[in-house]
Amino acid sequence: MKKAVSVMVLVAVAALSILCFGNVASAGEEIKMVGVITKIEIAGADAKTATATLKDNKTEQPVVITVNDDLTLDKFKDHRIVEGDEIRCKYEVIDGKNVSKLFRKTAGC
Amino acid sequence: MSKKSVTAVVLCLALAATAALAASEHPGKESIEKNGYKGPETCEECHPGTAKAFLDTVHWKHASKVTNVDNLNPKLEYGMKNRIYVMCNGNDIVNNLKEIPKSPITGKSKFSGCNTCHPGNHLSDVGSTGPAAAAAVDCLVCHSTDYDFRQRKPFKNEKGEVVMGQDRSVKAALAIGKPTVKNCMVCHEAAGGGVIVKRGFTFTKDTDAHAAKGMVCVDCHKAKNHKMPSGHDPNNWANDGVFVSCADTSCHGVKPHKDADLNRHSAKIACQTCHIPRTGGAFAKDFTVWEQTADKFYEPTTLKKEANETTPVYAWYNGTVKNTPHFIGPKGSRKDGKSKITPFKIFQGRAYYNKQTGQLLSMDFAQPMSSGDTRAGVLSAAKTLGLKNPEKIAKEAVPGWQTVYFGSNHLVTKTKALYCANCHAPNGVLNFKDLGYSDKEIVKLTSPELYMEKVAKKQKEEW
Ligand code: HEC
Ligand code: HEC
Ligand code: HEC
Ligand code: HEC
Ligand code: HEC
Ligand code: HEC
Ligand code: HEC
Repeated sequence: MKKAVSVMVLVAVAALSILCFGNVASAGEEIKMVGVITKIEIAGADAKTATATLKDNKTEQPVVITVNDDLTLDKFKDHRIVEGDEIRCKYEVIDGKNVSKLFRKTAGC
Repeated sequence: MSKKSVTAVVLCLALAATAALAASEHPGKESIEKNGYKGPETCEECHPGTAKAFLDTVHWKHASKVTNVDNLNPKLEYGMKNRIYVMCNGNDIVNNLKEIPKSPITGKSKFSGCNTCHPGNHLSDVGSTGPAAAAAVDCLVCHSTDYDFRQRKPFKNEKGEVVMGQDRSVKAALAIGKPTVKNCMVCHEAAGGGVIVKRGFTFTKDTDAHAAKGMVCVDCHKAKNHKMPSGHDPNNWANDGVFVSCADTSCHGVKPHKDADLNRHSAKIACQTCHIPRTGGAFAKDFTVWEQTADKFYEPTTLKKEANETTPVYAWYNGTVKNTPHFIGPKGSRKDGKSKITPFKIFQGRAYYNKQTGQLLSMDFAQPMSSGDTRAGVLSAAKTLGLKNPEKIAKEAVPGWQTVYFGSNHLVTKTKALYCANCHAPNGVLNFKDLGYSDKEIVKLTSPELYMEKVAKKQKEEW
């Protein structure tokens, strides 16, 4: 009995830690791309959303990405991210929009 | 009132006071509006001596004397200015900001160099001194919330010198305050060659318990005279001689828990071990093979993960550092009475070694970035450093691996902190054998016997 319980505790702990850390890849289909920004459209300093057009490095096609997260919006506002920057982007298609889940400059060493 | 509630009240008051200060306007605003912003001299009117004093900090010098690391000369200064390791296989000296050779494919060049993460203008560079240097300090990059980063990039002046731009507009100077997270992240976010590369370091309400409470970097890194308190990361050597630790009495003290069992553990286990169970960022790089990117320039081959996607390694650490050509990491043992079990972000990198001496070589990135030719980078660096027979060194250089341990000191969690069974179980996160425990001890340390009653009780309460 003691052993069974301890196994259960272990299982519970294991399950908990999976719950805690396992959810990095969230539901929905995430599309990954790398591309160069050709245009950023953002309406003023209080904007809560913006769009950025990326030219996909692989297909050379323009992809319009909707950006809603505060950190990236702020980088558009103070120009830490500007046209010409290469971006590693993950997005999900929601209601026909390509909504950004990750939007990061590739710039390395 | 209990000690704890006193602390809570004091904390609240302190927080309220900081909030009030942050909300209040900078008293110099009117004067700057009237007289304009001419750089540090404007600030010096009311904050005399600040710029000159700044020149003597790690943020200006990218170096300091280092006392806790093996195989260094105690009389010299070390830091990003001159260190050689495999997270970034160069330094400010060999990889000084410049235009790289034109790409043989596109004919284009670009600016590159390590010393862009410096609050000078490159004419007054890392470690420079004197009045010109004092006038070149970019106060606003750390103090303005209205900085235009289009200005902060390298360009060539009329003399053909490479200058690092700054936003010195009145607009930026009117938005002065205590540094925000963003101000610090201008440089810290992309340390190691890109966002979340070196440490998997994000500081948001989702990733850090302190950020969730609205704290900012300088709430812990409280600087006086621009001496920035640091810790003992085995791979962040340069320091201003002031230090911060979780267990500081002004923060949490050594007995922060109601639960005496947890408090007892802090004698042997660093707070970070339980409270920072994850890490992230790059875990391997190859500086001997660079990959071509879309713009036809090259970058070192890099394997990486997001914040909180990798697990740390655990080792005894007493604050002193082993430093050899193939390993830079913590020293310590179970028995020395000073060490604690500490989590580290582990990183392995490949770069070139000197065939004659076995020492790790450094690399100028300009040549490999342009053409992928990594030995040309070794040659350029060897020349800059004045090594004898640079051609021979570069030609014979041997690829090899170095393992680097980074401190893991942010991404703090309370809710996901390690609890009894995360360690005291056969599949626990600690490798007790590697940590020096005997087989007999391990049997005990991996048995639920240690926490059965306690966790069962907790489980009951929770449901
Ligand atoms: C006309 C005088 C004056 C000028 C010019 C001035 N300041 Fe101040 N500043 C003050 C006073 C007064 C305080 C509040 C007392 C203190 O902290 O010294 C202050 C406070 C500060 C603080 C602390 C703010 C906080 O919230 O903790 C910073 C940072 C600061 N100043 C930076 C600057 C910088 C950078 C410049 C130059 C762009 C500058 N100051 C120019 C008068 C001035
Ligand atoms: C985006 C800003 C940035 C750039 C560019 C940058 N660094 Fe750094 N570097 C940092 C920061 C911030 C730290 C200290 C904090 C840390 O280690 O996380 C640091 C620390 C270091 C250290 C450790 C210094 C010590 O005191 O032990 C070395 C070595 C280093 N960098 C090498 C390089 C090299 C080589 C390059 C260029 C190829 C480079 N860095 C470019 C921001 C940068
Ligand atoms: C690398 C970032 C950085 C740069 C560059 C910088 N500061 Fe600061 N400054 C800080 C930090 C951090 C504090 C401490 C904030 C705190 O603990 O509340 C500070 C505090 C201050 C204060 C408040 C009083 C004090 O000394 O603690 C003044 C005034 C100030 N800075 C002025 C300046 C001026 C003038 C310049 C340019 C010559 C400058 N700073 C450049 C980071 C910076
Ligand atoms: C202009 C770029 C830049 C900015 C802005 C910046 N840092 Fe740094 N910081 C660096 C670099 C580069 C190093 C590493 C220097 C070395 O080790 O040689 C460093 C090192 C440090 C260190 C460890 C060494 C020390 O000084 O004790 C701490 C702590 C630190 N920074 C905190 C901060 C905080 C807090 C802020 C915001 C107020 C900040 N930094 C803003 C570039 C920057
Ligand atoms: C809750 C307090 C706290 C906050 C907030 C905090 N730090 Fe730290 N930081 C620490 C402590 C404590 C250490 C050193 C721990 C040790 O080595 O024992 C540290 C270490 C560092 C170091 C040395 C290298 C390393 O990672 O160990 C740098 C650089 C640094 N912090 C930068 C920052 C920046 C930038 C921010 C804001 C984005 C920040 N810190 C926010 C507590 C904090
Ligand atoms: C053996 C693992 C362990 C160590 C070591 C440890 N903690 Fe904790 N700590 C925990 C756990 C688990 C919790 C969550 C307890 C809970 O939710 O009741 C916690 C909670 C806390 C809390 C929140 C307390 C509260 O009542 O909300 C603080 C603050 C804290 N720890 C600080 C520290 C500091 C500082 C150190 C180092 C001196 C440290 N801890 C060392 C496991 C640890
Ligand atoms: C981060 C991993 C970790 C966590 C979490 C942890 N422990 Fe430990 N515990 C250790 C280590 C390591 C030792 C051995 C310390 C030493 O060398 O003295 C230890 C020792 C002990 C001992 C003494 C064993 C002996 O007789 O020598 C007891 C009892 C114990 N832990 C109970 C607990 C309980 C109860 C919890 C949950 C509240 C807990 N531990 C959480 C790592 C952990």
